[in-house]
Amino acid sequence: MKAAASLRVELDAHRRRTVIGDLRSASPIRLVPRRGKVAAPGGALTVCLVESAAAPIGGDRLDLHVRVGAGAWLRLVGTGATLALPGHDGDHSRVRVHLRVDPAGTVEYLPEATVIGARADHRAETRLDLAAGARARCRELLVLGRHGELPGRGSSTTHVLRDGAPLLRQRLEVGRPRLAASAGHLAGARVLGSEILVWDRDPAAPSSGDWWSLTPLAHGGSVATSMAGDTATARRRLAEAVGHHPAHRDRSDRPGHG
Amino acid sequence: MAGLGAGTAVLALADARFPGGGHVHSGGVEEAVAAGLITGVADLREFLFGRLHAAGRLQAVFAAAAAHAAAGDAGREYWTRLDAELDARTPSCAQRAASRAQGRGTLRAGRAAWSSGALARLAVATPRPHHPVVLGVLAAAAGADPRGAALVAGYLAVSGPSSAAVRLLGLDPLAVNAVVAGLAAELDGVAGDAAAAAALDPADLPAPSAPALDLLAEAHDRHHREKGRLFAS
Repeated sequence: MKAAASLRVELDAHRRRTVIGDLRSASPIRLVPRRGKVAAPGGALTVCLVESAAAPIGGDRLDLHVRVGAGAWLRLVGTGATLALPGHDGDHSRVRVHLRVDPAGTVEYLPEATVIGARADHRAETRLDLAAGARARCRELLVLGRHGELPGRGSSTTHVLRDGAPLLRQRLEVGRPRLAASAGHLAGARVLGSEILVWDRDPAAPSSGDWWSLTPLAHGGSVATSMAGDTATARRRLAEAVGHHPAHRDRSDRPGHG
Repeated sequence: MAGLGAGTAVLALADARFPGGGHVHSGGVEEAVAAGLITGVADLREFLFGRLHAAGRLQAVFAAAAAHAAAGDAGREYWTRLDAELDARTPSCAQRAASRAQGRGTLRAGRAAWSSGALARLAVATPRPHHPVVLGVLAAAAGADPRGAALVAGYLAVSGPSSAAVRLLGLDPLAVNAVVAGLAAELDGVAGDAAAAAALDPADLPAPSAPALDLLAEAHDRHHREKGRLFAS
């Protein structure tokens, strides 16, 4: 199945509220605005990402294009875990999300977990193109296999650019049992969490604890990372890491909870 | 690099005796030992296998790209971009600091030993270059190809940490040496992949990641400050 959904949000004519400029769902990607189509003045417009069919399965090519206009604030939240499953012909599945944020715009992309099921070959690609002065919070929770099963294989690729300059480029490949078990690679973790934060002030120094860290990136922004044997622990560790970001500590201009 | 052939330069750069400052870095081994993740030769073998495919692969890619660019007389803009692209692929502050510390040491030792126009241009563009980039430029200056540069970078990604494990755990040096030798086929594959990517635009170079190494590096840095550690990383 091939599908391309898109969403554009922008400030209204009074430049106070974020409104939807254009919204195109494409099965299986369904975009549903929460609580009407208009945000509170100066606040985020929340749109839910609803899985409307069993997806992705091998052979699927799903694209989501998101554009946040100057000064607008979009919070895009997942409503359930995504389970990647194998297709019939052994072809891989691919989900590509491209988020573009104009000056002084804000995007919060908070999908639920992606589970790589047994024998699946799933490739996730996320690209975040930020204008100077834009804010972003972009989370990923990758679960290697349903409970008690060995995962298939796949990769998660992330590119974050600001004003055209690279802040973060990462490609995590999963599915080789020896690498998954290696303390120098995935250390046997079943769940990997990350959250990219480009949100006003960056942390002045890294913070870390038991299998989590929050580190400022070299050219702006920061990334929180967590690893665990189960989803609840990975989430808790990720929340602890994100909690060390100045935007959370100050509480004055705090990213919303998704 | 008059008087030294490509083979000799590759040997000199990969030699533990090379005064680039690599001996003070354990590549996550010290933290993994402290966490009980490496207790013997078998654990070390698996750790180094993972490390080779993450940190080793990334370093091999950037060494190969640097060697390719040095042979083609790349200018300042290329070196600045290559530096930023490696930064973007190194989310851990501690790993960026370790790479630049070794890069600076290798640059100093390299300049004292050999003269190279590309090395001078690199130093102007990035006074504190990343380690694999300097390695690539030095290897190219001696006539080594991108694959040779990638072999050095990939080899150093496992050989230094293996020596650290010998010191930290008192492991049998013969058994540990055999572990490193046993990675030869994997290292060949990593170097071959890196050489195949060497001519890509810096933005398109591979970006392999291993979250466990990143978290071990950050934990090491925290413990280094809190209670002291033998190695710098």
